[in-house]
Amino acid sequence: MSAWADHVVVAPIVLPLACGGLMLLLDERRHAAKGVIGLATIVAIGLAAAVLLAQAPVAHIYALGNWPPPFGIVLVADRLAAAMVLLGAVLAFAALAFSLARWQRAAPRFDSLVQFLLAGLNGAFLTGDLFNLFVFFELLLASSYGLALHGAGRMRVRESLHYIVINLVASLFFLVGVSLLYGVTGTLNMADIALRIPQVPAGDRVMVEIGAAVLAMAFLVKAGMWPLGFWLPSTYAAASPPAAALFTILSKVGIYAVLRLWLLLFDAGTGATLLLFGGMATVAYGMSAMLAAQDIARMAGASLLVSSGTLLAAIGAHIPAVTGAALYYLVVSTLGAAALYLLVELIERARAPGANVLAVTAEAFGEAAPEGLPQEPEGAAIPATMGVLGLAFACCALLVAGLPPMPGFLAKFALLSALLAPDPVPGTAWALLALLALSGLAATIAMARAGVRIFWAARLEPRRIHLAEMGPVAALLALCLALTAAAGPVTDYLHDTARGLHAPHGYIGKVLSR
Amino acid sequence: MELIVSLGIGVLAGCGTWLVLRPRTFQVILGLSLLSYAVNLFIFIMGWVRGGAPPIVAAAASVDASRFADPLPQALVLTAIVISFATTALLLVVLLAARGLTGTDHVDGREPGE
Amino acid sequence: MAIACLAVLASQHPEVAAGEVVRSSFAWMPAFDLAFTLRLDGFAWMFGILVTSIGALVVLYARYYMSDTDPLPRFFAFFLAFMGSMLGVVLSGNLIQLVFFWELTSLFSFLLIGYWHHSAAARDGARMALVITSAGGLCLFAGVLVLGRIAGSYDLDVVLAAADRIRAHDLYVPALVLVLLGAFTKSAQFPFHFWLPQAMAAPTPVSAYLHSAAMVKLGVFLMARLWPALSGTDAWIWIVGTVGLGTLLFGAYTAIFQHDLKGLLAYSTISHLGLITVLLALNSPIATVAAIFHTLNHATFKASLFMAAGIIDHETGTRDMRRLGGLRRAMPITATLAVVAAAAMAGVPLLNGFLSKEMFFAESLAVQGPSRLLNRALPYFATLWGIFSVAYSLRLIHGVFFGAVATDLPRTPREPPRWMRFPVELLVLACLVVGVLPAISIGPLLKVSVRAVLGPQTPAYSLAVWHGITTPLVMSLVAMAGGALLYVLLRRHLAGATQAPPFLPPIEGRSIFDRVLLVVSWRWARGLDSLLGTRKLQPQLRWLLLAALLAAAWPAWRLGLQAGPLPWSTLDPALALVWAVGGACAIGAAVQAKFHRLAALLLAGGAGLVVCLTFVWLSAPDLALTQLLVETVTTVLLLLGLRWLPKRVPFEDTSAGRRAALPRRLRDLAIAAAAGTGMAAIAYAVMTRPLPDNAISRFFLERAHDEGGGTNVVNVIIVDFRGFDTLGEIAVLGAVAVAVYALLRRFRPARESLAPPRARRGQSPAGASEDLKVPAVIMRAVFPATALLSAYLLLRGHNLPGGGFVAGLVLAIGVIVQYMADGARRTEDRLRIRPLNWMGAGLLLAAATGAGSFLVAHPFLTSHTPHVALPLLGEIALPSAFLFDLGVFSLVVGATGLILIALAHQSTRGRWS
Repeated sequence: MSAWADHVVVAPIVLPLACGGLMLLLDERRHAAKGVIGLATIVAIGLAAAVLLAQAPVAHIYALGNWPPPFGIVLVADRLAAAMVLLGAVLAFAALAFSLARWQRAAPRFDSLVQFLLAGLNGAFLTGDLFNLFVFFELLLASSYGLALHGAGRMRVRESLHYIVINLVASLFFLVGVSLLYGVTGTLNMADIALRIPQVPAGDRVMVEIGAAVLAMAFLVKAGMWPLGFWLPSTYAAASPPAAALFTILSKVGIYAVLRLWLLLFDAGTGATLLLFGGMATVAYGMSAMLAAQDIARMAGASLLVSSGTLLAAIGAHIPAVTGAALYYLVVSTLGAAALYLLVELIERARAPGANVLAVTAEAFGEAAPEGLPQEPEGAAIPATMGVLGLAFACCALLVAGLPPMPGFLAKFALLSALLAPDPVPGTAWALLALLALSGLAATIAMARAGVRIFWAARLEPRRIHLAEMGPVAALLALCLALTAAAGPVTDYLHDTARGLHAPHGYIGKVLSR
Repeated sequence: MELIVSLGIGVLAGCGTWLVLRPRTFQVILGLSLLSYAVNLFIFIMGWVRGGAPPIVAAAASVDASRFADPLPQALVLTAIVISFATTALLLVVLLAARGLTGTDHVDGREPGE
Repeated sequence: MAIACLAVLASQHPEVAAGEVVRSSFAWMPAFDLAFTLRLDGFAWMFGILVTSIGALVVLYARYYMSDTDPLPRFFAFFLAFMGSMLGVVLSGNLIQLVFFWELTSLFSFLLIGYWHHSAAARDGARMALVITSAGGLCLFAGVLVLGRIAGSYDLDVVLAAADRIRAHDLYVPALVLVLLGAFTKSAQFPFHFWLPQAMAAPTPVSAYLHSAAMVKLGVFLMARLWPALSGTDAWIWIVGTVGLGTLLFGAYTAIFQHDLKGLLAYSTISHLGLITVLLALNSPIATVAAIFHTLNHATFKASLFMAAGIIDHETGTRDMRRLGGLRRAMPITATLAVVAAAAMAGVPLLNGFLSKEMFFAESLAVQGPSRLLNRALPYFATLWGIFSVAYSLRLIHGVFFGAVATDLPRTPREPPRWMRFPVELLVLACLVVGVLPAISIGPLLKVSVRAVLGPQTPAYSLAVWHGITTPLVMSLVAMAGGALLYVLLRRHLAGATQAPPFLPPIEGRSIFDRVLLVVSWRWARGLDSLLGTRKLQPQLRWLLLAALLAAAWPAWRLGLQAGPLPWSTLDPALALVWAVGGACAIGAAVQAKFHRLAALLLAGGAGLVVCLTFVWLSAPDLALTQLLVETVTTVLLLLGLRWLPKRVPFEDTSAGRRAALPRRLRDLAIAAAAGTGMAAIAYAVMTRPLPDNAISRFFLERAHDEGGGTNVVNVIIVDFRGFDTLGEIAVLGAVAVAVYALLRRFRPARESLAPPRARRGQSPAGASEDLKVPAVIMRAVFPATALLSAYLLLRGHNLPGGGFVAGLVLAIGVIVQYMADGARRTEDRLRIRPLNWMGAGLLLAAATGAGSFLVAHPFLTSHTPHVALPLLGEIALPSAFLFDLGVFSLVVGATGLILIALAHQSTRGRWS
């Protein structure tokens, strides 16, 4: 606990914080400099995460302030945390690179907000302390409020208002839950709580469960479980594309928290059914929302709901193999949704102004335009715009619908085959299978409809698309294809991750070094 | 004593909830601050010790922990207060902006009739 | 490209001919037992040859068919990609992998059908094909999952080996149905046939390849592939047999009445696929041989016919058989070729179609199905089919190439270029050769593939043209005669406009499909969406609170929530009084908030004060102090904000309106009451319980001074024990401030709130400067005092109530007081504040302090406590935590100041703009 190498655990949190602070000192107009600094920071975070990931089996325990756990705050970089941090870094890189073309200049201090968001994200993934988790939740929420408002505009402000109010209430739930757990167990360290819950006297057990239940609500709001997730598609659709792309992982933070805490603190019985059926309801709702969506942005939001639902249901099944598959699905669906959000704007801009399907963003632009938002990005245009866009859109559609050659298909296969493994197969597994197949079909129909309408039916005069904007999208999609090819090692890693999550005593022992 | 405080928390929470469910932005923001009062108190009483002294220890070496109020919840409340302050400020500005852009102070940005 | 694949495949021939299975496999997702296996046995080899050879020919053909205006690269890219995925399906030795490529073929056929996407027909056809085939694909996916579950692996060999287990398993029927759904949709079996005619909107090369030779054959390929595992049961016979038979007759019958050349070919394709399906259904090895054989034959003659149709379309500009006629004069060679191919389709002797048809007839006689009646009827059905197919083949031949020469053709027909015709010639030649010398030409190919499918139970069969006068021969003769007769009878009717075949209920599969798709995927979806979801805020919050209430109530109800053991402590009347006031304030605020905002705000502030008092009471000075300051600042903020909210005069709401709102209000009231009681109950239950004796806070109390270097434990916790929380917390503050700043930059106040001067007086802080001179003087004097106070609070923070945050707030208040005194402009002339810099510096300082401990090889935020002597203040401990606190201070000043100033600026903008 003294070599410089150990500090790599805290880097993903402190680097973006410091970098965000630094950017506040910089003059507002020095966009290029900020862009470079921001990208550099993200790369550094990615490297740190890669290092952690490489030494995967060893979960790093980092006692902040050198106070021994459970008294001080500890960071725990186990497989899951490392993977999530890496995922976040990838998304952030793509989103930031995309924003450099124009969105960065839409409003001041965009870069700092992105950095703060990253700090909050990584903190939430890495921390091993319940209240600290709350703080970082707040950090990422606060910066996400800022990003959701980025570029202002009527729609954005209205939807952000909803987003903020709902999440403030959720944060209050979070506080109530945490404090209850502390009041009963007398500790805040997750591992320590897990140790002490069994020793709680029977009379106080009810407190623990109430606290956990209220806490769960706070997380499920973020995850967007029905009926707590109506805000998600609207807010994300109204947000500026880079922000929306970043937000795709926000909903996964809720999933992460559920996964981590539920598996750590409780056994299968508690809440499994809630997650299972809640997840299924979410899938059903997301399905209908996707079919009913008028524009691609809402479709992307609905697809996020579907993926959240799938994940929750899969977690609710409480089978290590299923959880592993779910993690693979998580990675894949997050990347796909992010790419889609980035793509939406490019498509919109490439289309003839008249035929505007994307009422939402159009309205937002309409408001934002007078504020000197550079409408046409300068720089090299790419040839055969519509062709490229069409291809990218097709890839996103395949990802969302879970069709080959995109990894969504493999993810679904892994999920289902793991679900059907137990003998006898539970009825819920069949139901989930049917639901997933249906949602895939729904996605196919919706996406085909949209794609045909946009790329085939409409008369388009292709506009210029900034290379720096197409690049990130292409990169994300290429990454997805790579995930198909390299499914083996990735799923192996995630499989081990899941196994670790389902055997929490390992985690506890490591943290408290018993 | 306990009864009073808990009733107080209850009243605050109730009023806050009621206001949060109202259609006007100002009502909502007021309700949120009432709710956060309630929650702050709630956190605080988690570490409430009867007749416990303020957690300001003498420089003396040995400390009888049971004599003091539990400092940790207080620290948590401090953090919570700051955060809720920040978010309230943000919410205020957002609702002003929403008011400016949508021309109404209804939470949905349009009057129910429309 | 295609030729290269062909060559590669051909090179594999010796092994395959020797009956071996060439495999190469590597692990794909070992965690889920998924391997990427290429498995080349005779059957796969035959299909591969088929796919590649015809593919090569069609590519050559397309080169001449497509016009120069079409984007050729895209066409060939899709085309080859499609061929690749076809090979993928054929060669895959793993069922999941098979589904993988299967879906790919659906995708590429979608792209190819929609290639001419400016025509609506192409778009709709493409979409329909995609929806149906991918739906089938999903069924297949599910079915394969079930199969794999039964067999214990997705590897083809394992599955085939587990045949008996599969048939015995009680999941057999579901699995079978799902798999067959996949196959039927792909092979356009009734009632999923209707996408195929729609798909004819594709360029003819595509139709020739996908919709005669390659893709539609996948369904039968799959059935043949899994034949050993799935067939042999009554369920198989019933499902596959009836569907096949229906398709067979329906397709042939409908084909007669098509006017569009390609439409006719499409329906005949459907019926031939039905034929193959029936053959596979019969559960007899010989029939399977016939099926495979017919697959080959059909591919050859149908592909050539499609290409011929394409040539005709290309040269004459129309495909309507009522307009075409007498083309044998204009294009004799093409005519001959087409005629031969059509004859093969009709099953004329000495052509390959004849042989497989004979086999079919023979099988229809020999069938041993579960139902005697059906066994009896089958030969008649078969003959009927023969009659129909002869009839439509005749119509094609006669209607297009003979009869009166058409005069009103869009283009004057002539022979196509040499190489455009070449593929057709080759295929027709194949038809002939196979038809005349089956044993030598096709024999070996057939043998290996059959052996691969049937394995040991490969039957003895003879590929001879002449078996003597047998019943099948008679049947074919009857069919020929009947067909010719039928055509003669129908000629007049066919000339007419209607395309709907008589004696069939006029059911348009595709219009039904369209309607269903529209209703389900649009109307119902929208309905469901609006039923399950909402975009309003209030319902969402209601859901949220209800969910939380239920979540909390469930365990409480299950386990019972009762008060703890501790007795009541002495009831303090003063506190009771205070809380009576507090509760009144809260309720008052709740009631007043709608109309009298200012009053409500003050009442809420009162409630806040009560909370402060409670903190003091319960020995939490830090909290009290902080709460007080936050209270002040928040109130100032809200006051600044009130200005832009619309005026709201209490309108006397009609009793009707009240009654309308009543249920909603009651519901909310109930929720609120429930929430309040819930919180109260839990709080009470907690307070009557003792602290857990092993609470970690003991540790803090004991170590605070010696190791934390401070006596105010709370502060030590904040800056040291849990300094990381504080770091995050100030980051939150910073983020919020930045967001506010960015938002207010482009904030436009509503028009009416800018207006009348009377409203402005005393409301806008900037406006204050004219009216209140005297207070302004005092306020100006306040600033240094506040600055001093904040410094003091900052320094003592570590030992007594205070600290960076409080100090920062105090300073910020001082600043805002300045603004109130002098108005924004003059203040900024005098003291330059760059809040953003304060924030940045603070954050950096805090982070740097934390990172400083790296240097002494300690983890982040480890604190060190050097003691230094300062003038005036004497010797004080200056832990590194103090620097951290300084950072906090700086950031808080920056952030709070930023927010307040930004709002204050709005008022100035509102005034001056």
